[in-house]
Amino acid sequence: MMKTLLLLLIAISLTGITQAQTRITGTVSTEKGLPLANVNIMIKNSYDGTSSDSTGHFSFNSEASGVQVVLFSSINYSTDSVKIEMNGTVVELHLKLKEGYNELDVVTITAGVFEAGDSRKGAVLTSLDIATTAGGTADIFAALQTLPGTQTSFSESGLFVRGGSASEAKTFFDGMLVKTPFNTSLPDQASRGRFSPFLFKGTSFSAGGYSAQYGQALSSALMLESKDIPEKTTTALSVLSVGASADQTSRFKNSALTVGGFYYNLKPAFSIIKQHTDWDKAPEQYGGTLQYKLKTSKTGMFKWYSETSHSLIAAFKTNPDEPQVKSYLKNNNKNTYLNTSYQEFLGSKWKLQGGLSYSNNHDEGQTGDDIYGRTDRLLQGRVTLNNYFGSSSTLKFGTETFMFKRQENLNDLHRGYSDQLSAGYMETDLFVTRKLVFRLGLRTEYSTYINKFNLAPRSSLSYKTGKSSQVSLAYGRFYQNPEDSQLIIQPLDYELADHYIANFQNSTNQQTFRAEIYYKAYNQLAKNTPAYLDNSGHGYAKGLDIFWRDKKTFKGSDYWISYSYLDTKRDFKDYPTLSVPPFAAKHTLNVVYKKFFDKLDSQVGATYTFASGRTYVNPNNPVYLADETKTYNNLSMNVSYLTHIFKKFTVIYVSANNIPGFKNIYGYHYSASGQYRQAVKPAAARDIFVGLLMTIGDDTFVR
Amino acid sequence: MKTLTKMLLVANLLTSTSVFAQSETYQSAMKKGLELLSIAKTSESFVGTANHFERIAMAESQNWMPLYYSAYANLVAGLVSEDPNQKDQYFDKALSQIERATVMSPDNSEIYTVKGYAQFMKMSVDPQSRFALIGDSNASLGKAKQLDPQNPRPYFVQGQNTFYTPEAFGGGKSAAKKLLEEAVKKYDTYKAIADLAPSWGNERAKMLLAQCQ
Repeated sequence: MMKTLLLLLIAISLTGITQAQTRITGTVSTEKGLPLANVNIMIKNSYDGTSSDSTGHFSFNSEASGVQVVLFSSINYSTDSVKIEMNGTVVELHLKLKEGYNELDVVTITAGVFEAGDSRKGAVLTSLDIATTAGGTADIFAALQTLPGTQTSFSESGLFVRGGSASEAKTFFDGMLVKTPFNTSLPDQASRGRFSPFLFKGTSFSAGGYSAQYGQALSSALMLESKDIPEKTTTALSVLSVGASADQTSRFKNSALTVGGFYYNLKPAFSIIKQHTDWDKAPEQYGGTLQYKLKTSKTGMFKWYSETSHSLIAAFKTNPDEPQVKSYLKNNNKNTYLNTSYQEFLGSKWKLQGGLSYSNNHDEGQTGDDIYGRTDRLLQGRVTLNNYFGSSSTLKFGTETFMFKRQENLNDLHRGYSDQLSAGYMETDLFVTRKLVFRLGLRTEYSTYINKFNLAPRSSLSYKTGKSSQVSLAYGRFYQNPEDSQLIIQPLDYELADHYIANFQNSTNQQTFRAEIYYKAYNQLAKNTPAYLDNSGHGYAKGLDIFWRDKKTFKGSDYWISYSYLDTKRDFKDYPTLSVPPFAAKHTLNVVYKKFFDKLDSQVGATYTFASGRTYVNPNNPVYLADETKTYNNLSMNVSYLTHIFKKFTVIYVSANNIPGFKNIYGYHYSASGQYRQAVKPAAARDIFVGLLMTIGDDTFVR
Repeated sequence: MKTLTKMLLVANLLTSTSVFAQSETYQSAMKKGLELLSIAKTSESFVGTANHFERIAMAESQNWMPLYYSAYANLVAGLVSEDPNQKDQYFDKALSQIERATVMSPDNSEIYTVKGYAQFMKMSVDPQSRFALIGDSNASLGKAKQLDPQNPRPYFVQGQNTFYTPEAFGGGKSAAKKLLEEAVKKYDTYKAIADLAPSWGNERAKMLLAQCQ
């Protein structure tokens, strides 16, 4: 007993010695041997440890003993550990830490794609950028025309991407094809997109080589991703020089309902701004929207968006053959659009996305002495399954079906056609390392009207070459049905394009530089002459796109410059030979500038656009499409002034288009004899737009 | 030799079994951390402090407090840093630690306060493209107030956020003044429940309030 006690006493008195502190010292560095500071070094399950200094050195004492685990942890680096024996002798450790998966450092697929979004990596524009780009007047499509690869379109609605016609660029709303994304326009006038940029949290604009999830677009896909549940109950009012709109959003526990109405009439504005067009009825439009968003579970979301609108427009036009005779043009449009989508995670590895959309677009009117009518219907259903595997890799597969129906009448003549197009697609984003990713996809389609299958492989790879730089390559095959105006005559084959893209990007938080070269081969383009209609058309497009955005160099201001060089020729529609189409300027330059002035509570923006001349058909020139218009210049400015009216957050917005009054000419219409011609000009030389946007129920800028 | 093994065994028993002793080390380690926090000036020293709390958090996997302080120190490290990339990294680290702390202590007003603080600061790195985070920040701070209406810190953080937001965006001194007054009033009456419970913000709230007058 006594002996044991004695032993115990000795033991206690000896603890100081046996518990001798062990000194742990050493260095931490990167794989390349650069010292790493602020690495947290600790003995597992104890509080002992230290941080490495700026030279990567560390040293600390610990009372732990025996075999212990030393952990090394640092932001941006993978946590590492070392087992050591602690027995009082100094332990020296020299460790190299591997770079960890930091979202910002992982390679992304960038060939062809411009991401715009609010919290998305690789985003080059935000949704606010789209709304506040001068000259864009809050039109998504107009803002996208400041990106490289796009043409400045003014005499026709739509996006003209890398030598492609407007019908080759498609818009997708939450994954669903939008058949008529633009308001109906008069000949030679571009019209606005139907959707407000404020509806979307993310926009992904692809100028080529895009995902196998999307089809029916030869040159470009614009993917719009709608916002989630709004946070608060608010009322938004806008009063514009061209009309007014109101939205009431009611927020419930897990859902939100937004009801809105709008009325636009351009007559008052047109009475002030001198018009080239002889309007009988300036564009007038009214309609309503209904949106419902429901959080079905912690990870599930259901969205409903519906819109119905009615627009009227009428004008007198002359033609060069009989310049004295005015012919009457009138159009009456009714549009209904519904988009529903649902997504839910099935466990942690799977995600289900589904959608159902319906649209009905009806035009009727008069052109000269003829009465016409046209109805387009589209019903689409779509299901995609996403599987997440590895550290960031995904596998997606899905199917969709489209039911198209078109009916036309001219005076007493009627015709129509319908088609069911079904598609299956599969795509994987395979991360080989954090620096190398492959995207491999395959899409197949079958059209009942064309009665053929097609098979479109898509592939891209990106490799990270530095901390903020990467290169991407892409190849893809793209099919689309010929235009309705051709298909309604007879079934044809699919039109097809092959894209080859190489891209370099260097992007930091503050600056983005991109350069991309591409080659596109067009085949099986629909070609119609009075004698025949077939798929014998073809063409090519090649070029270089450059983009530079900088928020750093000039304090408080933000600008981007985009330049596109385009070399394209095609033989399609009624072209007699391979020619440069009118929608393809060789050089296009955009400079966009924005600055927020704190003292004035105002954001000022300016956009300058230059485009080299475009071709037009001159019957006096034996070479088809060989004449060129003079160059196009435009300088637009806008000012947004933030203030409070009746204590409600208010934005007052003034936008002026073509301030210097450049006399732009889009092309010419010739008389049959070739003796007379008429210039195609914008509706007005200059344009000004004033608006007031007020939000009630929220005292911050967030809507 | 045999004796020595026995001695070592006893020694090990003595050092590792006492719960009291461990809690004592916890207390003193936390106090040391709070001291480091109070003297830290540079971004590096705040990261060092965050690392200190992180080491405690690693050993105390059920206790939200060391993780909370580590997140707070990372947040301040980001505030003090000049480099926007570094700022982002520290704020991200703080937010990921806050997520883990929320799992340990789901309805904690202090945790939601730091969350709202970090979200707002993350927004301020690139306001143009991250303005949506203002809404997230307000939601977190609103939740913090709701969970403990007596807690002065969510009022202080919201007051400070408002103070630095341009008037045109719903901020400004007069809007901030109300929140900061509320915060200062609450600091005077608020009694921290535990010894190591958060107590930051009082001085700065008073300083900002003085600038609002």
